[in-house]
Amino acid sequence: KTKDKCQFLCVVACYRHLASCAGGCTDSLQLRDELRQTREKALTLAEAICRHLTSHLRDKTLPEDQRKEMELLWVAFTSSLELLHVDMCKVFNIGDTFSLTNTASLVQTGLQGGGSEVAARALSLADLNQEPPTLPAGLESQEQRAMEQEISQIDHMIDDMEKKVNVLRWMVEPRGPQYADPLSSTESASFALVSVDEEQPGHEPLFQRSFIFVLLLLLAVVLS
Amino acid sequence: MTIRNVLRDHGQRYRPRMACLKKAEKVVLEMQDPTTGVKLQPQRLVITTIPHAITGKTDRAFFIANHLSVCLFSSEARSFGSMLVALGYIYPIQDHKRLVVKPDASLYRFQTPYFWPTQQWPVEDTDYAIYLAKRNIRKKGILELHEQEQYNHLHKWMNHKWDFIVMQAKEQYRAAKERKKPDRVVFDCQERAYWVVHRPPVRTPTGMSLSLQKTICDLIFGDLQSIMRPRVKSSVSIGALVKYCATYKAHDPFLSKCLPSNPWLTDDVTYWTLNMPNVEIPTKMRVERWTFSFGELLSDPRGRDDFRLFLKKEFSGENLAFWEGCEDLKWGTAATMKEKAEQIYKTFLARGAPRWINIDGKTMEITVKGLKHPHRYVLDAAQTHIYMLMKKDSYGRYLKSPVFKETMKKAICPEEHKFSESQLEQNARNRRPSLSPIVIRQQEQEQKAKMAANAPVDITQVMSKLSKQGKEAPPRRTSVNND
Repeated sequence: KTKDKCQFLCVVACYRHLASCAGGCTDSLQLRDELRQTREKALTLAEAICRHLTSHLRDKTLPEDQRKEMELLWVAFTSSLELLHVDMCKVFNIGDTFSLTNTASLVQTGLQGGGSEVAARALSLADLNQEPPTLPAGLESQEQRAMEQEISQIDHMIDDMEKKVNVLRWMVEPRGPQYADPLSSTESASFALVSVDEEQPGHEPLFQRSFIFVLLLLLAVVLS
Repeated sequence: MTIRNVLRDHGQRYRPRMACLKKAEKVVLEMQDPTTGVKLQPQRLVITTIPHAITGKTDRAFFIANHLSVCLFSSEARSFGSMLVALGYIYPIQDHKRLVVKPDASLYRFQTPYFWPTQQWPVEDTDYAIYLAKRNIRKKGILELHEQEQYNHLHKWMNHKWDFIVMQAKEQYRAAKERKKPDRVVFDCQERAYWVVHRPPVRTPTGMSLSLQKTICDLIFGDLQSIMRPRVKSSVSIGALVKYCATYKAHDPFLSKCLPSNPWLTDDVTYWTLNMPNVEIPTKMRVERWTFSFGELLSDPRGRDDFRLFLKKEFSGENLAFWEGCEDLKWGTAATMKEKAEQIYKTFLARGAPRWINIDGKTMEITVKGLKHPHRYVLDAAQTHIYMLMKKDSYGRYLKSPVFKETMKKAICPEEHKFSESQLEQNARNRRPSLSPIVIRQQEQEQKAKMAANAPVDITQVMSKLSKQGKEAPPRRTSVNND
């Protein structure tokens, strides 16, 4: 079930990225659709995990180490559920404030692409091969209503979980390190390329130097 | 919408109520208009250009001045812009830690609505922890000192969630990599700006934190005070409550029977007649209440009379007289305050006064000093002293005295009324309004004057006065009952 949980965390993370585009200049029907699909996937995963965890934790014959494992999963699951809940509420509110029919009021945030790649990751598809859906009248309010229901569904799920299982959160001990290990260096290097601007504002020569250095490094890696 | 928005918010973080948020949002939305809004320009980075940047210079100032239809000087427009930045609607691209609008070519960008400041959802520490973890993933050791401290603090406080936080940070990092590079940059800038506003480094004024800092001071003082407040163990306080309830249960007209009958139910006013403030023969219940506490005795006029009688026998009546004088001063009109205070001083406190009371030197000193500028509560210290004296000393002796025993013996315990239906109806028909409060007050004042004139008196006069009063009051009532 850890695989499921990882997937769920992945979906929640992707949802957040998509949500951050909402209301901005890249907000579109496609984005809303992607949000909806991600939401649905998240909900199905959540239901499954919820059932599994609840049934296991209510089982009094569970051995101690398995119980600890379950409790860790439980804490992770409830926390991500809460994150999802807040994100959904925020998207709901943004949907209220920003209507797609009036694109002039969308905030010019500087984004250029949509969230399709992120959505693809969330839905575990190679890529989203979809045409942008057309807008039948009243789709937005329908969407909002559906969203309301989904939010209250999560509400109830959280409530239910709290009532059915008594996990003492403060007793749960994490297994991982305090600092997340940096991912592989090539990944972070390419990231550094683009983000150098923020870390060293106005240091033009230094930036160019590090740019050249990284290029050389990549070249070296490729050649070796 | 009945969605529970505030999730697990235990009110531990102060959230400023900011009505300005809605107004700021409106202005920001109007700025987006392609025709009438602010002019946007692209930001050039090394490998890419990112659109939608604005400068702090004239175009924004121009927009604001135009749009708000007021004659704004450029400095005012700039401070308005700075306010939008401080709140978090716009963020500076370079020099991201200073949330002000500079009158040069430095660039700013609009913040995405997801990261707009809002009152509905508190800024979660979980999110902050994930953000810091993400930054650390990207480049180890990049966290600044205050961020490091926060990270450690959160690690201690949210330890149980830490696996989740690290995993979620990794997932968000991986999801971000799916996006195109310019968008990734923009998102990073957005997130960073969001956290500069909501978790500012020390001494950075932001729109959300100024009030936060002020209220943190208030919270600290509040906590200091609550630590120093004297506290009672709940077992003790509950014990006191239980004792009180047990003591007064029989005397409560709701919880137990009201003898002879509850006037509100039977329309028979005997109960009130028997319990008039200055009735000669009190009821047994009333006398019993005097034994509960000294406060009960003093607050009941009949009890106070009895006590006064006892004190006269003991030749320590001046204590009670002083106490009553202080009460008079406290509750009297402001105009008469000064002379009352002087009168009390002359009668009770001055050296060689006719009814000198015995209070300790320190209290006397404080009181005399206070009397130079008399106010309502100038005699409080002395009054408390005398009250405690009476309570600890005279009260105990009173309860054992023959005066009290006599009163208790004579106290009546009326029979319970048993009215039939027709009698009840007759009572209802014979209802009469009571004396007007004005008349009652006049009577009280007459009595007080008589007392003042006769004080200090010997016992026989007091007794005759009491019996005279007793004969006055009932006749007015019994005529009603005999109908």
